[in-house]
Amino acid sequence: MHELVEFAVEKAQELGASYAEARFEEKDGTELVMKNGNPEGLGILAEKGMGIRVIVNGGMGFASTNVLTKESVLEAVKKAVKLAKAAAKLRNKPIQFSDEDFHQVFYEVKMKKDFRDISAEEKMEYLKLIEEKVRETGINVPMRFLRYGDFMWHKIFMNNEGAFVESLIPRVSVMYNLVVFEEGQMEQAPFVQRAFSGGLELIEKDQPWEWAVKDVKALQNLIKEGQKPPEGKVDVVISPEVAGIAVHESVGHPYELDRIMGREAAQAGESFVKPTMLGERIGSDVVTVIEDPTVPNSWGFYLYDDEGVKARPRYLIKNGIINEFLMNREYAAYLGMKSNASARAINYNREPIVRMANTYLAPGDYTFEELIEDIKLGVYMVSFNEWNIDDRRFQQRYIGREAYLIENGEIKHPVRKPILEITTKGLWSSVDAVGKDVEFYPGTCGKGEPGQGVPVWMGGPHARLREVVLRR
Amino acid sequence: MFEVNELILKRAKELGFGDVVVLSYEQSRRQVRFANNEITVAKNWHTQKVELFVEYQKRLASTTLTALDEATIDKALQTLLKSVKNLAPKEDYYGIAEGPFKYKDIPGTFDKAIVELDEPNEYVEVAINAALEEGAKRVAGVLYTDYNKLYLSTSNGIEAFDEGTGIEISVRAFIGDEESGHGTNSVRILKKFDPESAGRKAGEIAKLATNPIQGEAGTFDVIFDPLAFANLLSYMSFMTSAFAVEAGFSFLVGKLGQKVANEKVSIKDVGDMPNAYGTRKFDDEGVPTKETNIIENGILKTYLLNTSFARKYKTETTANAGLLMPQAWNIYLEPGDYSKDEIFGEVKHGIYITNVWYTRFQNYVTGDFSTIPRDGAFLIENGEITKPIRNIRVSDNFQHILESITALGKDLYHVHWWEVATPVFTPYVLVKNVGITKATK
Repeated sequence: MHELVEFAVEKAQELGASYAEARFEEKDGTELVMKNGNPEGLGILAEKGMGIRVIVNGGMGFASTNVLTKESVLEAVKKAVKLAKAAAKLRNKPIQFSDEDFHQVFYEVKMKKDFRDISAEEKMEYLKLIEEKVRETGINVPMRFLRYGDFMWHKIFMNNEGAFVESLIPRVSVMYNLVVFEEGQMEQAPFVQRAFSGGLELIEKDQPWEWAVKDVKALQNLIKEGQKPPEGKVDVVISPEVAGIAVHESVGHPYELDRIMGREAAQAGESFVKPTMLGERIGSDVVTVIEDPTVPNSWGFYLYDDEGVKARPRYLIKNGIINEFLMNREYAAYLGMKSNASARAINYNREPIVRMANTYLAPGDYTFEELIEDIKLGVYMVSFNEWNIDDRRFQQRYIGREAYLIENGEIKHPVRKPILEITTKGLWSSVDAVGKDVEFYPGTCGKGEPGQGVPVWMGGPHARLREVVLRR
Repeated sequence: MFEVNELILKRAKELGFGDVVVLSYEQSRRQVRFANNEITVAKNWHTQKVELFVEYQKRLASTTLTALDEATIDKALQTLLKSVKNLAPKEDYYGIAEGPFKYKDIPGTFDKAIVELDEPNEYVEVAINAALEEGAKRVAGVLYTDYNKLYLSTSNGIEAFDEGTGIEISVRAFIGDEESGHGTNSVRILKKFDPESAGRKAGEIAKLATNPIQGEAGTFDVIFDPLAFANLLSYMSFMTSAFAVEAGFSFLVGKLGQKVANEKVSIKDVGDMPNAYGTRKFDDEGVPTKETNIIENGILKTYLLNTSFARKYKTETTANAGLLMPQAWNIYLEPGDYSKDEIFGEVKHGIYITNVWYTRFQNYVTGDFSTIPRDGAFLIENGEITKPIRNIRVSDNFQHILESITALGKDLYHVHWWEVATPVFTPYVLVKNVGITKATK
C-alpha cells in the first residue's frame, strides 16, 4: 500500500500539481446492538480506500476511490488535478499552504486486551452486563438501546513535501439510551457514550454499566423528588460534563480558523471570533481552555494530523484571553502562521478540515466542597440533555438532566431541567472558581460537507458561575 | 455487479445462512464547494461497494465489502458466520420480503445530461452572481452532482436494478455577519436545475435582514419558510421508523390511531416521487416503493415498517426497509390552499423564520425540543414584515407544533441540504403559539 500511496503523489506532481498528498485509510471493526434486551445484530466494519488532494494553479481538488488498483488510483489523481485546475479559474486568491517541518514516522496505540482476539459473543457480554445491572436496580426502564463498537483505524499519509505518517489507532466505545418510566412520567438519558482509543481494558476499567445504573437512579430520583429550580440570578456549579460541552461548543468551534474565515459559512456557520480578537479578553482570568490531541487513550487521540503535522496541546484561551486558533495549513498561511495540527478527516473519502480533538477547561485549585461552600442559593448541574448554539457560537443553551439545588453551601433536592441560556462571553466571564478534578466525556463532532463526525473528548473540572440567570 | 451478487448468495447459502440481502452500489459524485465568492475545493468520489445482510437461525449480521474478489467474499462470509453463530438470536425477527416483484420506472429520476456534464462550475457562478445582484456581499455554498447504480439481490428470489442522477445547490448569502439568507435547489434532471433561484432567494433574504434587532422571548405565531419547516420534518422522519419508536427515540410511541396533529395536517412518505432526491424504485428488501400515509388529517396511521416489523405487528410492510431499520424516503407534507400573502395576512403579531439549525431534543419520547433560527428572521405586524430580528430560539414540543398548525401554503418546495438529510416536500406553514426564548446574559 505504501507503493500505491507514493505512486499517487508522484503522478499528481507529473500532472502539474504544486502540492500533492495521498492518504490511505482502512477501518476494521465490530458493532453490536441490543434493543430492549433483544440482540439486534452484529455489524462488521471493513472499509478502505484512498483520498488524494492536490493544488494546481492555486485551486484545490480532491478525489477518492475505494478500488485500490494503480489504474483506479491514477484515474482519481487525474480527476483531482482536473478539478483543481477548473477551481483555480474561480478563485481570486490562490491557495497556499504554510511551511511546516515534516517527519517520516510510524506510531500505534497498544491494547492490553486486543478486541481483535475477542469473540462477538464475549463483546455482547458488556451490553448484557448493562442490561443486568439496570434490571437489578428494580427501576422500570421500558426502553433500552445499547451499542458496542470497536475498530482499528490504519492510516498512511504522504505528501510531496517530505511527510510520511503511518498510524494504527484502536477505538472502543459503548453507548446507551435509557428511558425511565415512573409515576406516569418518562425521563431519558439519551446517547450516553463511554469511549476511548485503546483496547477493551479501558472499557472494563471505566465500567459503563455503573454509569448506566447511576443514570437510571438519578432519573428515577428526579421524577420522584425533583422540584422546580430557582428562577432568576443564582450561582451555578457545572460538572466536568457540562464544562466539557460548553468549551466544545463555545470555545473549540468558534476558534476553528476555517470557520472564522468563512469556509463553513453555508453549513456549520461562521464565528463571532475574528482574527483581530487574538489577545482580547473573552472570560475571567481563571478560564484557560486547552485543546490537546495527544492525551493518551483519549477518544480524539492522534500524534500527527491528517496533513502530516506533528500535534501538541493548543491553548485556545489563556487566563481569559484569546490565545490561539485551531489551524490547518491553508488557514494558518492566511495569518502568516504555522499549522497547529488541527486537520482531521473521518475517512479516506473526506478531505482533512479543521477539527477539535480533546477540548477541556484547565484545572484550578478548588475542591468541589470549596466551590459550593459559600453559595447561598444555586444549582449544581451534573449532566445535560438538550444543548444547542447559534452558528456564530455565541447564543447557547444547556438544559440540565441531573441537577440539584444548592442552599447555604449544601447540596439539597434534585431540580427539574434548569435552563442555562447564555452568551459565550456571559458564560466565561461568570466563572470565578475552577476545580482541580479534570474528567473527560466523548462526543461525535459534526462539521464539513459532506458531514464528518469525528471522535472527540470534551471536559474539564467542576467550575462555578456567579450570578447567572436561570430559567425553567 | 449482479454476478458478484450471485456469487455472494451462492456462497452464503452453502455456508448455511438463511435470509441474505446483497445491495451493490456504483457511485460517482462531484462537489464544488465555495465561500467568500470563490471556489474553496472541488471533489470527486468513485465508490464501488456491496452492503451485505445475513441471517443465521435468527442471528443477524451485516457488513460492507469494497474488494470484490472471490477470496475476500469467502473470507467475509466465514467471518460473519463465525461471529454470529454463538450470539443469542433476535427472537422478534420475522424475515425479509418474498419476491419476485414488478417494478415500475419512476419518471424524472435519471438524466444522461448530468452524467455527461463536464464541469458544473458555471452553475456556481450563476448562483453567486444572482445573490450578489440582490445585494449580498459574500456568498458561500456547495453544488453536487450524483450518478448512482444500485443492484439488489436477495435469497428470496429478488433481483432489482435502479439507476439515478441528481444535481443540487445550496447557497448562503451574507451582507454583514448577522445578515444572511439561504436558498437551495435540488433536482434529478438537469433541465429543471435552477441555481439562480437559490442564489436570488439567499440574497433577497439577506438584504431584507439588514440591521436586525434583538428578538423578544414569549409566545408567538410563527410562519416557517419551507426551508425551516423541512428541517423539523426531516428530524421527525427518523421518529416515524418503528425502530426509533421501540428504541426510545420517538414522541410517536404508543400513539397509533391517536390524534398527533391538527386535522389539516397530513404527512406521507413517498418513495416513488418523480424528481425527488430520496426516491428509490424499491426498498432494501426489494419491495416496490409507494406512498404511505403516516399522519392523515391529524391521526397517526402507521409507523414506517420493513417486512420483519410488519409481520411482528401483523400488518403490511410500508416498503421502507433499510438494511438495518426502516427509513423514510421523501417526506411529504400535504399543501393547503393559502397563498403566501394569505398566510402572512393571518398574522397580526408574529415571526417569520426562514431557516433553522441545531435542532436538539430535550426528551425524544415526550418530543420536547429546541432549534435555532438562522438567516433572516422577521417580526410580522398586521400581515406585514416590519423588522428583522436576531438571537432567538424556538423552544417547544413537536406534537404541540403539529397540533398548532393552522394554515398551509398551496405551493410545495423540495428541500434537501446539509441540515435536511431526508428530502422533504413542504409548503409555508403557520403555527400558532410557538415558544420563543433568548439568552439571559
